[in-house]
Amino acid sequence: METVAGGGRQAARRRACARAALAAWCAITCGACVKPAPATPSGYLQVDINTSPAALDPRIAADAISERVAELIYDSLVRIGRDGNFYGDLAASIERPSPVEIIFHLRHGVRFSDGRPLTARDVKYTYDSVLDPAIQSIKRAGLVELATLRAADDYTIVMTTRRPYAPALAMAMLGVVPANTPAPGAGAAIAPAGSGPFALADFRRDETVTLARNVFNAYPAGGVPGIVFKIVPNATVRALELAEGICDFTENDGVQPELIPYLAAKPDLTIVKSPGTTYQYLIFNFRDARLRDPRVRQAIAYAIDREAIVASLLRGNARVATGMLAPEDWAYDGAVTRYPYDPDRARALLEAAGYDARARPLRLVYKTTPEGSRLAQAIQAMLRRVGVAVDIHINEFATFYSDLRNGNFDLAASQWVGVGDPHQYYAIFDSRMTPAHGGNNRGDYANPRMDQLAEQGDATLDPAARRAIYGAVQQLAADDLPYVSLWWIDNVAAYNRRLAGFAPYPNGSLLSLATAAYHAPRGPRRSAQ
Amino acid sequence: MIRYLARRLLALVPVALGVVTLTFALIHLVPGDPVSAMLGDYAAPADVAQMRHALGLDRPIGQQYIGFLYGLAHGDLGQSISQHEPVARLISERFPATLELTAAGLLAALLIAFPLGLIAGANPGGAGDLGAMGFAILGISVPHLYLGPLLMIVFSLDLGWLPLTGRGGLAHLVLPAITLGTALAAIVARMLRQSLVQVVGADYMRTARSKGLSRRAALIRHGLRNALTPVITLIGLEAGALLTGSIITEMIFSWPGLGRLLITAINNRDYPLVEGCVLTFALSYVIVNLVTDFLYRAADPRIRLE
Repeated sequence: METVAGGGRQAARRRACARAALAAWCAITCGACVKPAPATPSGYLQVDINTSPAALDPRIAADAISERVAELIYDSLVRIGRDGNFYGDLAASIERPSPVEIIFHLRHGVRFSDGRPLTARDVKYTYDSVLDPAIQSIKRAGLVELATLRAADDYTIVMTTRRPYAPALAMAMLGVVPANTPAPGAGAAIAPAGSGPFALADFRRDETVTLARNVFNAYPAGGVPGIVFKIVPNATVRALELAEGICDFTENDGVQPELIPYLAAKPDLTIVKSPGTTYQYLIFNFRDARLRDPRVRQAIAYAIDREAIVASLLRGNARVATGMLAPEDWAYDGAVTRYPYDPDRARALLEAAGYDARARPLRLVYKTTPEGSRLAQAIQAMLRRVGVAVDIHINEFATFYSDLRNGNFDLAASQWVGVGDPHQYYAIFDSRMTPAHGGNNRGDYANPRMDQLAEQGDATLDPAARRAIYGAVQQLAADDLPYVSLWWIDNVAAYNRRLAGFAPYPNGSLLSLATAAYHAPRGPRRSAQ
Repeated sequence: MIRYLARRLLALVPVALGVVTLTFALIHLVPGDPVSAMLGDYAAPADVAQMRHALGLDRPIGQQYIGFLYGLAHGDLGQSISQHEPVARLISERFPATLELTAAGLLAALLIAFPLGLIAGANPGGAGDLGAMGFAILGISVPHLYLGPLLMIVFSLDLGWLPLTGRGGLAHLVLPAITLGTALAAIVARMLRQSLVQVVGADYMRTARSKGLSRRAALIRHGLRNALTPVITLIGLEAGALLTGSIITEMIFSWPGLGRLLITAINNRDYPLVEGCVLTFALSYVIVNLVTDFLYRAADPRIRLE
């Protein structure tokens, strides 16, 4: 390629080329000069989040942050309350005339953000749209028990289920879009009009999502005129923005436990910790003969010092769990078998089970997060102390999730986020609900008694009877140990002291931001963007 | 030169083919499935099968590969599975941000490296040399994840001179560019120093001094130009790495570039988007190296490109 040529022929041309390259470089670099910075409008609340919503159309929005933002834009027939029960949202009243029929009487005078009135036709259209296979909605799977949904008149929706189905109201939580809204996808609006407190004003993927008030939805005097969700992937930067008054609010994934003391020391900030329903567990794979022995599972449960992990690694931002349902849930029953830290008992159980400490180490899969790695190492060390060797496999989410669904693990640590209705027990413990059959029984756990109870719980409409059934389910789950219950993660919100009216939900919902207001005028925001 | 350029551009074809083949194989080999990511935990097996069919994922892998190549040959990078948008459009929206950051990072690196290298190379073993090379070692050693927030605290929060995060005006570029460029600056400064030390004792330098040029003038006019060739080689190689290395800087400064798009695509197992992003990075790398070859010529007239 390189040969020595004589003299300075074409030197001028070379210089011209070099100058052109330099000019192109400067043009690229200075291209930034002409782009306006997206600034947070005056009076708007800035909420820092760690990842961009994948979709805001409620017919397809499914990841946690998309749902958090979408529920500020869209109303649904019902919403889940802080106690895990369902309450009317678009529905002014709800009737259940028969075990398979629910009638929703809609509120009058509700309007979408484009001014159109919301009627039962819009509700029906939304459901038809989700059920249309062409849309390929993730929400379709949640409507499997829905038999029919019809608009009896402009303000009445009649829903029927395929069988008596207690958690049927969970199917009434779809955000409603106007009739004839095009299917989500290329060329369609990121977020169609909704009737919720806000409307989408601007969407810049991986930068900001700006919501402005839906002028057709009354809001309290002094309420914030809009919200800017700013995507800040780095936890330290989120903390800095909050500490310096650039950002007003962040919560849960936005606040790393180790940064809470730093934020708590700032006089302008309020840190609110409240009980959460996110449930962290360790699942056993029953395909491994060793783990089918209940004594081995019990030994592992006794060997993990959950109190110590919560106090140290999680800095007290969780509660040691007794089962999937948290104490705030209406069906919670804490009077179940518990497994306090007891390494001696664990060793005795392993000995009784004839566990071979030199056998193939158990494969523990975890997903890649800073805390995931530390927690896996803590569990590995605790199990090693009682003679159970563990190999840790920490992978990014897609690989981890694939391992989990395909049973490629012996032990796996994961979580259920925003646990509400105890119907979830059917999906995770019923022996027929393996991933291949559209369920989440990933460890291949099977107990006919559990199948019977979980199915009974779904079919029983009487709340008291249902509560008793789920009490038995929780006891059986604690005895059989398909999961070791680790902890329920607290909700942590950090926000500017001038902000009033924020009330946390156990499932992490941000709905109360719709009624939040600055009780003191907000000063000029420091430049962040 | 035109023949050379045509030949190098033609060489892009096998490079692109190799990159797409490797990326296609790797992304399909690793566990994970875009359908699971889209339909979630409770999808009915029939829905999963239907979606796999709709996306063409139920076809033999060879057929999928040929279909992908066919699209590519027709300039179609396909449709993003997770974002329901054409891949080409998504990349064209994000690539300028990454290019802008990389160019600014390179500029920052050179602005830091050349004074340091000159100071160190002019007086090897002196105080300037020790200070400059100490700074260079620090630059290589400090990770982006630490340097970025440190610069933010000092220049954005304490002094209030520059914006903290995001992409906007020129001021937004300064801190990400310094964060991205510091490690390269350190490497270039060390290379420049070494190169200058070698040329300082050369005959032509003595001749230049004997003709009455000051030490500084001789160093800058004659020494620097001769010391540049290895430095340009290094910059050419490292500029490509700077492009792909911008991913971490993008995460720290909430910079909406191609790196973040790629990470999201990998997490969602969005095959067409991953392939499109990797191809863009790879071709950019090759083009940067091509530009480097042309810069050799500008720096050293003895070099001819054939």
